[in-house]
Amino acid sequence: MATLTRAQIQDLFAQEAAGRLTALDQLLLQLENSGHDKELVVSLFRELHTLKGSAAVAGLDGVSALAHDLEEQVGRVRSGAAPVTPELIDVLFAGADRLRAAISGEPPPPETLRPTTGLTATTPATPAAATPTAGPVAATAAAGPVTTTPTAAEPAPRRAVGPDSGVVMVQTERLDELVRLLGESAAAHLRVGRMLQDDHGLDPAMSPEYNELSRFLNVLQDRVMRTRMVPVSTITDQLQRAVRDIARGQGKDVRWEVEGEATELDRGVLGQLSDSLLHLVRNAVDHGIEAPAGRGPDKPAQATLRLHARQLGSDVIVSVTDDGRGIDTARVAEKAARLGIDTTLMGDDEVLQLIFLSGLSTTDFVTDISGRGVGLDVVKNRVEAARGRIEVRSEPGVGTEFRIIVPITLAVLRCLVVEAGGRRFALPLHRVVLSQAHDTSREIQAEGRRVVWVGNEPVTVSTLADTLGLATAPATGPIVVLTDSDRLHAFQVDRLVTQSDVVLKGLSPLLPPLPAVAGAGIEPNGSIFVVLDPPGLIQRARLTARSVVAPVPTAPADRPHRDILVVDDALTVRELQRSILQRAGFGVRTAIDGRQALAMLREAPADLVLTDVEMPNMDGFALTAAIRAQPAFANVPVLILSSLARDEDRQRGLDVGADGYIVKSSFDETALLAAVDRLLGRVG
Amino acid sequence: MQAVLMPVGAELYALGMTWVREVVATPEVAPLATAPDFVLGLVNLRGQIVPLFDTAALLGVGAVGAAVFAVVVETPDGLAGLAATGLPYRSGLGAAIGPSERPGTAGVHRDGDRVVISLDPATLLTPERLRGESRESTVPTGAGQWRP
Repeated sequence: MATLTRAQIQDLFAQEAAGRLTALDQLLLQLENSGHDKELVVSLFRELHTLKGSAAVAGLDGVSALAHDLEEQVGRVRSGAAPVTPELIDVLFAGADRLRAAISGEPPPPETLRPTTGLTATTPATPAAATPTAGPVAATAAAGPVTTTPTAAEPAPRRAVGPDSGVVMVQTERLDELVRLLGESAAAHLRVGRMLQDDHGLDPAMSPEYNELSRFLNVLQDRVMRTRMVPVSTITDQLQRAVRDIARGQGKDVRWEVEGEATELDRGVLGQLSDSLLHLVRNAVDHGIEAPAGRGPDKPAQATLRLHARQLGSDVIVSVTDDGRGIDTARVAEKAARLGIDTTLMGDDEVLQLIFLSGLSTTDFVTDISGRGVGLDVVKNRVEAARGRIEVRSEPGVGTEFRIIVPITLAVLRCLVVEAGGRRFALPLHRVVLSQAHDTSREIQAEGRRVVWVGNEPVTVSTLADTLGLATAPATGPIVVLTDSDRLHAFQVDRLVTQSDVVLKGLSPLLPPLPAVAGAGIEPNGSIFVVLDPPGLIQRARLTARSVVAPVPTAPADRPHRDILVVDDALTVRELQRSILQRAGFGVRTAIDGRQALAMLREAPADLVLTDVEMPNMDGFALTAAIRAQPAFANVPVLILSSLARDEDRQRGLDVGADGYIVKSSFDETALLAAVDRLLGRVG
Repeated sequence: MQAVLMPVGAELYALGMTWVREVVATPEVAPLATAPDFVLGLVNLRGQIVPLFDTAALLGVGAVGAAVFAVVVETPDGLAGLAATGLPYRSGLGAAIGPSERPGTAGVHRDGDRVVISLDPATLLTPERLRGESRESTVPTGAGQWRP
């Protein structure tokens, strides 16, 4: 057997150390709560001792020396030479942090003890979310320990870190591969069923062997999915530790409660959530919970911060609840007003939702309270990245609850399947705000677009088939309102088909990027359907939104054939322009930069060049200048379509010889065709 | 050299045997909304989703429209299907008799009275080319080395 390389040994050590560091944190938290417990001290000593030895074997002398220092201190407690004091626990926690940093190769955290006020020294790298509160937090001296009350309905499984625990570490890619192979087995199974029916006239449902195989495959699928699941308890120690540190630093007395820590969810989902939960609990202690002196007479002096996880159908709901001062909606409204948001017609609940806006939570609105200002918008984005959503409820003086709702697994994507343009498409359900029958008589027209009211918001309506470039009769079916987390957009479809769990497969890297497409799924009968990506779809709809009052372009037959060369390095823009111009009857060629465009013009001239400005190799200004420099092309009109909106850019475009300049932000089909027609002398 | 000869419209193209994984007859193609014209759609190859390309459009010589056969090619970036309009068949192919012009091709060959253009998947089917969509460039590349 080949010997391990140094890198392999260090990999192994990193795996081992991760387990030991978690155990260290756990033991320290228990020791802090229980006072002097001989067994705990012995366990602590053993963990440090083993860590020291393993680090030395891995050649990590610095780590080994750090572990040795801590071992010495615990050794003195073990021998009765020193007592367990809060200061010692602080020192040991700080030591564990330094060990963690040394093992991961990060710069070590400062050696100082936890400060009595402020948090920045102990959590320098983690931006924390903030909850607006009524006033600055006063750190008082009445520090109390954080006590833990396990209230879990089911006991959380303890993580085993020893070598005899029967646990095997498996790379997640291998599990993903298993999921994929199972999907293929299930599809093959269905094919066999069809073959039995078609070729042998046997009803597969009547075959015990076939049914048995179906059953085993189902069980296998369930078990494989489960291998990716981990209990919420895998992150609660880290959260408790943060609560403890901040409470102690700010002199607050906080009781940490966890319920439902055995609730399981996909490892990937939990990984994406852990930072957000850390934000929320830090936030709650930092801003939500008052110092003991500030808590009203009707409240217990000891505050409670509660994490509750539970499964509901195929979702897991994790809530973080505090009994602090609640969110001051008047203050939120005041800050929102400064950002130009009109809150006069909003109810308290609507105002509360504004705390998730990026502009709002990163301004002094939070920083003036704590000096830290990365906000809840980050939390919201992360939750949405895990295909989840976040809700907040708050009552002044009573407390605040944040509720995160995520799917149990990312392996399947819950989708709404719709039909548009005669094809089926899946829309990820976490982006669907609502779907409803559509009554065109309730449509309004605004800025040349079809609009419907969704709550208090005017929402643009597009026809899904149009947005996707499918030729179709006007849709008469229901609308589906989608969100990309900032805005809403409604899409009219032919009909709603069903809801379905989709094993999402990414598209081949050989395909050009298609922003409106998230991937594809396979139906049980083997046929493929496309899963759309709502943010990309909304973006596309905004670009293609056709003005309902736009003059109908002259029929292609009326026009002499004209060729346009479209030059843009962005595939989406290029294809969009191609489709608009082709529909209007033009011949279209495309080039990806100025250099290619020039080469193509030399091959065959064009009647007009439509070019972007910012492109690799040769930009649009240089291309325009080059075209003008060649007598053969001197009369070819050049229309620049750019995102550069400054006057000097426009002037520069005209200086190098462009005949027109359209800013992309104001670009729509009508404006483009009007400009093209004008330059080709076809109208006006 | 052994090659798979695939009819594409009125033309005949060749692929080195080692590139070809299999040939699928009358593949069921799911159209891929918003994709450019040279993508015919997606094909389910035993649970794997494989893009199917319009061979003629890729080369800038028109369009096949629909695929009667799909020649599945194994590229470093995964499987890809090339549409053929007639039954592909295996044949020995002599050395190139001259350079070909289209990017993604590797030379002109003779098969009896027919002209066969050999394809070079290493340049025809790369993410850079397909994303940059340089198929419209008609700059001659000369006869490239036939990749086994």
